[in-house]
Amino acid sequence: MKDNVETRAIPRAINWNRLQDDKDLEVWNRLTVNFWLPEKVPLSNDVQSWATLRPEEQQLTIRVFTGLTLLDTIQNSVGAPALLPDAQTPHEEAVLTNIAFMEAVHARSYSSVFSTLCQTKEVDEAFRWSEENPHLQEKARLILDKYDAGGDPNKRKIASVFLESFLFYSGFYLPMYWSSRAKLTNTADLIRLIIRDEAIHGYYIGYKFQRATERLPEAERAALKEFAFSLMFELYDIEARYTEELYDSLGLTEDVKAFLHYNANKALQNLGYEALFPDSACEVNPAILAALSPDSENHDFFSGSGSSYVIGKAVATEDEDWDF
Amino acid sequence: MLDNSLTQDGTDTALDYHALNAMLNLYDEDGNIRFDADRMAARQYFLQHVNQNTVFFHSLDEKLGYLVDEGYYEAEVLDQYSKNFQREIWAAAYARKFRFPTFLGAFKYYTSYTLKTRDGQRYLERYEDRVCMVSLALARGDEAQAMAYMEEIIGGRFQPATPTFLNAGKKSRGELISCFLLRVEDNMESIGRAINSSLQLSKRGGGVALMLTNIREHGAPIKGIENQSSGVIPVMKLLEDSFSYANQLGARQGAGAVYLNAHHPDILRFLDTKRENADEKIRIKTLSLGVVIPDVTFDLAKRNEEMYLFSPHDVEKVYGVPFSDISVTEKYDEMVDDKRIRKSKINAREFFQTLAEIQFESGYPYIMFEDTVNAANPIDGRITMSNLCSEILQVNEASEYNDDLSFSHLGTDISCNLGSLNIARTMDGPDFGATVETAIRALTAVSEMSAIDSVPSIRRGNDEAHAVGLGQMNLHGFLAREHIHYGSPEGVDFTGVYFAAAAYHAIRASNALAREKGQSFVGFEKSAYADGSFFDKYTTRDWLPETDEAKALFERFEITLPSREDWTALKEAVMKDGLYNRNLQAVPPTGSISYINNSTSSIHPIVSRIEIRKEGKIGRVYYPAPFMDNENLDYYRDAYDIGPEALIDTYAAATEHVDQGLSLTLFFPAEATTRDINRAQIYAWKKGIKTIYYVRLRQTALEGTEVQGCVSCTL
Repeated sequence: MKDNVETRAIPRAINWNRLQDDKDLEVWNRLTVNFWLPEKVPLSNDVQSWATLRPEEQQLTIRVFTGLTLLDTIQNSVGAPALLPDAQTPHEEAVLTNIAFMEAVHARSYSSVFSTLCQTKEVDEAFRWSEENPHLQEKARLILDKYDAGGDPNKRKIASVFLESFLFYSGFYLPMYWSSRAKLTNTADLIRLIIRDEAIHGYYIGYKFQRATERLPEAERAALKEFAFSLMFELYDIEARYTEELYDSLGLTEDVKAFLHYNANKALQNLGYEALFPDSACEVNPAILAALSPDSENHDFFSGSGSSYVIGKAVATEDEDWDF
Repeated sequence: MLDNSLTQDGTDTALDYHALNAMLNLYDEDGNIRFDADRMAARQYFLQHVNQNTVFFHSLDEKLGYLVDEGYYEAEVLDQYSKNFQREIWAAAYARKFRFPTFLGAFKYYTSYTLKTRDGQRYLERYEDRVCMVSLALARGDEAQAMAYMEEIIGGRFQPATPTFLNAGKKSRGELISCFLLRVEDNMESIGRAINSSLQLSKRGGGVALMLTNIREHGAPIKGIENQSSGVIPVMKLLEDSFSYANQLGARQGAGAVYLNAHHPDILRFLDTKRENADEKIRIKTLSLGVVIPDVTFDLAKRNEEMYLFSPHDVEKVYGVPFSDISVTEKYDEMVDDKRIRKSKINAREFFQTLAEIQFESGYPYIMFEDTVNAANPIDGRITMSNLCSEILQVNEASEYNDDLSFSHLGTDISCNLGSLNIARTMDGPDFGATVETAIRALTAVSEMSAIDSVPSIRRGNDEAHAVGLGQMNLHGFLAREHIHYGSPEGVDFTGVYFAAAAYHAIRASNALAREKGQSFVGFEKSAYADGSFFDKYTTRDWLPETDEAKALFERFEITLPSREDWTALKEAVMKDGLYNRNLQAVPPTGSISYINNSTSSIHPIVSRIEIRKEGKIGRVYYPAPFMDNENLDYYRDAYDIGPEALIDTYAAATEHVDQGLSLTLFFPAEATTRDINRAQIYAWKKGIKTIYYVRLRQTALEGTEVQGCVSCTL
């Protein structure tokens, strides 16, 4: 699409039956069946559990969620739209708009959690905190800079993958931790739905980055890699301080950092790069790691809605099916 | 402390029991499942947590004295026995050296079942204590019976359902009964009473199902004025809120289900309440849905015709009985031709497709195949609904009300006491027939000990029917242990023979009870038991193993199977002395109790070699399939892999011998289509399955996005 801008080519209708890249359809299908809205999760079942958290634990949880809301807001209103002009196929544009929309759903979800569990005053305070927290603001600023319209499309993708696959996870840690302790399990379901989406977003944008850069000259590729790693270092530095500030009081910082290392490696892997942190630095608490997978969870329907349902493919039955 | 706060136990030990347990879901370096990590988790759970938080007593007498004095135990239960006998049964129970083989078993027991101090901080019971109290409560003073119950429960052969196992013997407790089924009729008195009854029953624990088939549809006239009724959706909203309110009172989670006939005009609105994009005003989040489907719907779909939906209000006026009490299949053509009945139509195949779409999105609705259920029903009367787990299938009778809301005619509603046998332990155990009989007696005791006065129609139903539901679990675990594949011809053969034998002994036990008590259930004389016709299928052919493997199995475990002669003798005894229980078997899904009992759930295949279990109270915990090790993994294919047909074949073999229903969940990969679900439903209906419970989906992670080295994520 981009190459035609100068000549003002005839606007073309998107034809899903002529694919330039099969991955677009695969990811589109996956994203659409995964569509969900926060209303499906019975968050109110967590009200009692919320009351068992100590005040400082509640405050931490709200702060973590406002931090996540900020990132999702950026990704919805700036991140995904910024990638649109760089799309290599019309189908990629369609996928990106879906990503943008789901990011809005995610941002909306945290508000559902707030309105169900917390009081307005606490939430307002936490939002103010998120506006004033230097680390949070710094990482948001850093990513937003890279998204800037004048920038390099490939650098935008790098920033986007880091946001999707790395920056969210210091926040995701906490609800996973709670759920492994039988607390806020429905909230964790909702977060797991978000993780399910973010995993695909990061993977897909990373994949597009690899396609876009595979034919670049060696020197340009090396420069991009240099850029990616130095951005990662910068972000990691902020993220480490952010983590310390949030989790020190509960003594979880080291464990969260291991989780950050694990996800930093994942983000780099999505871009086609080697791992940054050695395996020994990525020993995530098994309870957290295992809690990430939504697959085949055998939930008890009477206390939650689970995170494995999808919108199915409707296919009409044929006469042969009714052969009795 | 019971409250696992971050700072208390999250940080000071390198690997706590939660982390050890979660290691089950991550392969080790050699690609093996770490069963040892889970065993360590169970051990650490006791060392780090349970033992430190259990109140210590010097002797049994001191302990029982304290628990009675402090109002934790019901004195009446213990007073029926001598101190000597109390010591004897406790000593016998502890001598069995019971240990929880999995972390989840122990965790579930201590989180949800055991008696705790009032502040919830300290444990007052060990597993053996709970088993003894349940046995003493159910035996009502009969020492030999109490000992028999204790041996069956601690031996893992018989496991009472959660409400019984959780509550029996405790001073402040909920009901012992698992679930309740209520009719709702087409008038405000009945709807109001249904809501009130739901509140009352939820408060006492136990699931409640309500049948809404008789409520007039959206837009139907009220008192002759058109477009007045709002249909079933607002009633569902009221019920949903009632259940979540009762839940807040702190008892067991309130849970409810509603059933609607497929030919009710509100059927599509009913289903749409579970849509992903349903409007908040009509979205139903926590109420479970069930659809009652008659045979005629299948016939219409086969011919690809429209299906008519009938106004319950008009049907009742024309036939003089509520809509639920006529057979839609039988009266279909007549109702289509009757001008007095207002009707609308939808395409039958599209109806089934919509059903499958909603099941994709939410797992609901359950399905009850109305005509299959009624054809197999040996009791006089009609079965119009099922329950929260779709295994209870009993007849009921409408109530009528006066203007002051009192009953002008007290109908009957349904309650059911459940308990399940662990198939592996029962096969191992000393006496198959005695185990079944002991279980039936224990369940009967629950019925006799229960009197739900707040819902008189339930009380009347229970008093007259003494209906119980003996279930089975650990089928897959047993088959795998014996190196038989679930769903294989040998596996299906074993299942059928096992259930026939269980049916024989259950009926034999109920017949003995009738003789002892000199009493049968009300309506016995009009049942297919009384005229002997029920027994035809057992006296005219054998129900013995046909495959060599199944034959060998019963021989190896020295199980004597009932012959045609045995059945004939039983038939004569029943025709002479009757049956005490109107209903005997029902196979529930067995969630919690199968973890405690170290079983696979119900007669389902496993959902995963390492199951991720999530519940409100316990969070996310990992459970290894029973008897599994790194050598016999082949026999632990999961439900998604096995596919719906082998599962349905297994259930069909069991259904043949179960007088009520069996909770049957269907499992599909997320790549399946609505057509795959429809085909499985058609197959199930063809094979004589009575009900379908949930549809569960598994989505495999997109390549490149999966969690590395995770057991449950890999196929």
